[in-house]
Order: sequence, then C-alpha cells, then structure tokens
Amino acid sequence: MKLKKYLTLTRAGIIESLQFRLGTLVIIAGNLLYLIVVYFLWKAIYASAGTDIVNGMTFSDTLIYLVLATALFNFMEMYIVWEMGRAIQSGKITLDLLKPMEYRKHLFWSYSGSFVTQFFFTFLPTFLIVAAVTHGAIRFGWNLLFFVISVVMAVSINYSIDFLVGTICLYTESIWGINIMKQVIVMLLSGATIPIAFFPEPLKTIAYYLPFQSIYNAPLSILLDGNPQLQTVLTTLGIQLFWCAAMMVLGKLFWKVSLRQITVNGG
Amino acid sequence: MSNIIEIKNITKEFKVLNRREGLKGSIKDLFSRDYKIVRAVDNISMTIQQGEIVGYLGPNGAGKSTTIKMMTGILEPTSGEILVGGNVPYENRTKNAQEIGVVFGQRSQLWWALPLVESFKILKDIYGVSDKDYEDMLALYQSLVDIEPLLHKPVRQMSLGQRTLSDILAAFLHNPKIVFLDEPTIGLDVSMKAKIRTLIHALNQEKHTTVILTTHDMGDVDALCRRIVIIDKGKMLYDNDIEHLKNFFGSYRTLKIRIDGSLKQLAEEIDRKLSDFKVSADDEWISILVDEEKATVMEVLSRLQQSYKIRDMQLEEISTEEVIKKIYEEGVQ
Repeated sequence: MKLKKYLTLTRAGIIESLQFRLGTLVIIAGNLLYLIVVYFLWKAIYASAGTDIVNGMTFSDTLIYLVLATALFNFMEMYIVWEMGRAIQSGKITLDLLKPMEYRKHLFWSYSGSFVTQFFFTFLPTFLIVAAVTHGAIRFGWNLLFFVISVVMAVSINYSIDFLVGTICLYTESIWGINIMKQVIVMLLSGATIPIAFFPEPLKTIAYYLPFQSIYNAPLSILLDGNPQLQTVLTTLGIQLFWCAAMMVLGKLFWKVSLRQITVNGG
Repeated sequence: MSNIIEIKNITKEFKVLNRREGLKGSIKDLFSRDYKIVRAVDNISMTIQQGEIVGYLGPNGAGKSTTIKMMTGILEPTSGEILVGGNVPYENRTKNAQEIGVVFGQRSQLWWALPLVESFKILKDIYGVSDKDYEDMLALYQSLVDIEPLLHKPVRQMSLGQRTLSDILAAFLHNPKIVFLDEPTIGLDVSMKAKIRTLIHALNQEKHTTVILTTHDMGDVDALCRRIVIIDKGKMLYDNDIEHLKNFFGSYRTLKIRIDGSLKQLAEEIDRKLSDFKVSADDEWISILVDEEKATVMEVLSRLQQSYKIRDMQLEEISTEEVIKKIYEEGVQ
C-alpha cells in the first residue's frame, strides 16, 4: 500500500515526540505566559478605547480569537524553515534526498507526527477549555466540520509557505534571518497575533488578497462566526483551496528549479 | 555477470566564487561575479559488475565524494554518461534510491530518539519491504552479528561502533543492488573494525550486493576489496586488481634494522649512502624501502654490515598502504 510508507513516518514522529515529555510541558507553560501577556495587553487596549466594542469585536471575542489562534499556532508550526536550513547546513539533506520519496513529502510526513501529538496535547485541551468557559462562544454544529476541513487546508498552506521559504536556504545557507522574516510576516498577516479586523483599511484589503490569512483567520472565522452563512463559509473554503493548490505547485516548482541548481552547480 | 554501474567520461565542474581577502574584499565579494571553474572530477570512466566490492581510494579532496554523489543522483555530471542499475541517477533519483543503500560514516540515517528496531520498521515501510523479506533479513543479521541487544536500544545511546554497525545493517535492509559505504570504519576501535569488515563481506557474499567502499584505512581495503580504483585531483590514477597493484610497483620490500646510536642521524647517513632507496627512522627502527630490481635485500644488508653493527632486523612485504601512499605522492609512472 502506498499510504503506508507515509503513515509510518507519522507514527515514528508520534513516538519520537512522546519521548520528550518535558519539552511538551515547557511549551504549555510558555503558552500560558504568552496568553497572560495577551490578556493584559488587550485589556489595556480596550480600556483606552473607552468603548466595549472595538472594530466590531468585544474584549471576550478578541481574547477567544487570540487564545484559539495561539493554540492553532502551536500545533501547526513545525519550524520547517529551521529544519530545512539545518539539514542543508549540516549536509544531512543528502541522506534525506536518498530516500525513495520526494523530499517535500518526506519532510512533511516526518513532521506530521508532531502535529498529531500537539493537536491532542495543546490544541484540543485549549479548545475544550475555551468552549467550557465561554458558554456558547463556539457553536457545536456543522461549522465544526467546516472548521476541520479549513484547518487541514491551513496546515497544507502553512507547510507550503514554510517549504518555499526553506528552499531559499539552499541559496543563502543561512537560516536565522530568513526564518525571523517569515515568522513576522506570517504571524502578522495571517491574523495570528492581531485579528485582521483591527488592521487599518488598505492593509486589511491587502491581507485578504494574500495567502497568509487562509492559515489562521480563515478557520477561526468559520469557527467563531456567530451567524454563519453557508455562502460565506464556502467562499472562505474556496479561497483556501485556491491557495492550497497554488502554494503547493509553487513550492514544488521552486524546489525543483533550486535543486537542479544545486545538482548542476554543486553545493 | 552484468554491469551494474557504467560510467563513461564523466566530468563534474563547480562554479566557485573567487573570494578576496579582508573586510574590503568581503564586501566587494557581495557583488562579485568573478567565478572560477573548479573541476572536481575529470573524465572518469569505469564499469562495475554486480557483486563486486570496489575500494574507491584517493587522498582527501580527490573527488571521491563527488563521484559517489553523482552515482547516487544528488549531483548531475557536467558531461559524460552514467548508468546505475539501468537508471540515469540524477533523472530518476527517487527510483534509483530504491535500488541503493548508503552509509556516510560521519552521519546516521537512523531515528535518533527511537530504538533501532523502530528505525528498521520505518525503513521497511518506506522501501516497501515485504514482511517475509524483512524477517529473513533480520534472521540473517542475527546469524552474522548479535543484534538482539541492539534492537531495543535507542540510537542516541549507542556507541559509535554500534551505531555504524546499525547504519550498515539499515543500508542493506531493503536488499539494494548497490551499497555505498563512505568511510564506514572511521573512528572505530580495532575489534569493531574487524567486526564491520566481516559483516560487509558476509552481506556481499550472501546477497550478492555490489559494494563501493571509500576509505582511508588500508586494512579495510586488504580485508574486503579485490579491485581498487584510485583517483586524485579528479583524475583516475588506477583501476585494477589489488594484486596487480603490488606487481605494478615492482617488488618492493621494507628492510628494518636496529643499530646503536641516534637513529635519526644514522638514517640520514644511510640515506646518503643508499641514494636509490627511501630511508626513514622511527623510535625503534630504521626502515629502508628496497626496490629489488635495483638491489636485493641481502646486498643492501651486507653493504650496511660493513659500516654498522646491526643488532636486529626485520623484513616486511610492502603493504597496500605504502603502495597507495607512493601513488598519492608520486602518481603513476
């Protein structure tokens, strides 16, 4: 069976990430700290605004959004740029290239195991706590199904962007700057740190035309929309699907061209 | 016997930026288009047959790794043809990967945090090895080395020797047609080296796997390879039997003598007297590399006895190591 050779990597990833129990605990503690900062920051923002509703969102709307965005970030972020950069610098990439599968797939499936563990250890608990504490901010209905579909596509888009940026490391052989730059752009324009509703007008429009908002803003808007219209949801999913395909093709092509560069000119 | 690897006149050139010195130079380099072409592999041809163990030798930076990378499909030759198991490796890298196994002595392909057996299971699935073949292979491994205690040990807790051994087993797991071993015995102790040589030899015999071995350890070559290929500065220097190599370089023998006094000074003295031969000294012996076509060992010995009191002597056949060293230093005439 063909899928088996990929799923075995997922399985390995799960076992591997379970070996580092302490690491998971540290991540959870770090998130709590981050969320505390977020809480006070936004409390101050709302206090200085003087109104209960800023840009169409109440304080609790914003907080719920940001808590869930953080939870999503924790399970989607695979530090692929970092991993690729390191593999390229250390030369480990030669071994990965000699596996009988495409490098792009090999890398994705190798890190898919940590998705699974992070999903159960960080996202799901946060999600349930938010659902329990807020009494009804999250509706349990068909929107959950769409949310799951949306998250799957978000994972794919996020990975493709990481892979594209990681490929640049083949040329630069340095990781730090590229990684930070990518992080800042993605975190801001995807709505992971500030809800896109808060952006000033031209930036908001720009953000909607970029792929990044499909990563965090799209699934969360499907999940948190109090009065969802099927058409809006389908439009969101449609846009995601477009970016999903576009980024995948782009990543694949760029990798192919870059790798050829390397195999021809040496590295 | 069929040819598993066919290489015809391959050349590989790299474009390297001409670096300038100092801070000013480094800043200029940022905008420089001043490249020079470095020829890492220069017009090499060879054919290797299924089941051979070939020692691929050369000093550091000779172009060995580049050739291996071309055979595995990671690099594309600048010119020339290369066929591995009927595939053009750089065009069908993924397909080629199914047919080859690789061990880079310095690097491990195993899953660091997991017990060895998990790595084996992953590799089994990745390469699509059937349950039966997998079981058979493990049974074979068990009969060759005692892997049972290793199987449940996380790779990160292994000693270097155990890890190398595991890596070699992992490379053979999917029964590839060719295994590339890049310095497999580097940094290992004597008994582990012997164990690994026995293992490679046994796997080659049992599975008829072609093995391409690069190494700097002539012990590996003597124990495993019948054929050796030597390259230096990208050019092929030698491709033939190891026996032939020794004859090719004439009948050299090393005469070792011990004389009272400062060996260093005496060696220099003797060197002046026997200008035809290479003389060197270590803490215990003075070694004279005698070319028996010019003078027999007995003649040399009797000449020396006229002027010195020889307390002890030893006679050594020339080792592969010395022949190789001679080739590296002087080339093939």
